[in-house]
Amino acid sequence: MNTKQAKDILLLYRESVDDGDPQFRQALAHAQGDPELAQWLREQTSCYNAIRSKLREAEPPTDLSERIIRHRPIPFRRDWMQILKIAAAVIISASITAASLQLWQRERHSVAEEREITVKGEVLDMTCYIAYNLSGPEHAKCARDCIRNGLPVGIKSEDGTVYLLSGKLGHSVNAELADYAARIVTIKGKESIRDGFAQLQVEEIRKF
Amino acid sequence: MSADLEFEKLVKLYYRDLYRFGFSLTESEADAADLTQETFYIWANKGHQLKNPGTVKGWLFTTLHREFLKTCRHRKHVADDPIEEGAASLPAVASDCVNRIDSQTLVHFLREIDEDFRAPLVLYYLEDLSYKEIAGVLSVPLGTVQSRIARAKVQLLRRLTETDRPRTQGK
Repeated sequence: MNTKQAKDILLLYRESVDDGDPQFRQALAHAQGDPELAQWLREQTSCYNAIRSKLREAEPPTDLSERIIRHRPIPFRRDWMQILKIAAAVIISASITAASLQLWQRERHSVAEEREITVKGEVLDMTCYIAYNLSGPEHAKCARDCIRNGLPVGIKSEDGTVYLLSGKLGHSVNAELADYAARIVTIKGKESIRDGFAQLQVEEIRKF
Repeated sequence: MSADLEFEKLVKLYYRDLYRFGFSLTESEADAADLTQETFYIWANKGHQLKNPGTVKGWLFTTLHREFLKTCRHRKHVADDPIEEGAASLPAVASDCVNRIDSQTLVHFLREIDEDFRAPLVLYYLEDLSYKEIAGVLSVPLGTVQSRIARAKVQLLRRLTETDRPRTQGK
């Protein structure tokens, strides 16, 4: 190793920091035998220390450490096992909820058990009644025509419940009830409720 | 030790060094403080992922440097050509010359050096990190780090000599 090579290596040498680095050992050994190189190295070290000291003069704001500690975020550490457990619990809960909901919907849509009842009340043309709240003797003619023409027919009981009147499957009761439009009759039949609507399957019609 | 105390201890231990590193890179007290704070913020969220506790210091410096690079939107990459300037072209700078300028001026001279070269030079001066550790912090090969430091050092010392010349000539 000549002086130039040693100098190029020692350009990066830092006293105490790089003493253990093998790349500098040979160059340092060379400098020990070369007074001029040793002097150059001393100047370099002195300059290095001066720059280092100057850069280390910079002091952070007095409250910086407190600010960092105070504003420390609370980390959300992901425990994947825990996340999997939670996900499984959510899926199971959602499945149970969905099944319950479906069951409830099915029950809601089902027809309540039929029962035999007798209802006394006014025969209604359901279309005019529901759409326009028309009923009573002054609406009798229109109701009669509507019922005769096949529009839905109903009965409003004395307690205010309105039933859709129907015959057995395939058999309309409109013709039988048209003449009783807006009049009080007693109807015996099977009551059932579908989706919240009450209906009465007519078995017997009695004039008042 | 609780996580809070561990965090506090870590902050007390490294916040000054990180701030100085940040200040030497940015030449701005506010930016250096922000970078330091951001570094510890990231540590609080991700530090637990670090497998080897012995590499905490390097991790913190790497993080601060990465955060700094994010702020340099239009970076100019200077090619790592083999250094033409060896020790022979290194100007003789007396420590007195350095002592005559204030630290702000010195940091300003550092700012004139390209970012890719500035960071290794700052770590070379400020921190007692081996070249291997500096290479690890900056994620560049060892040889690249050494050549960058050598080039940047020559640039800085030349700049210091230029500043000192009129004063010397005037005497």
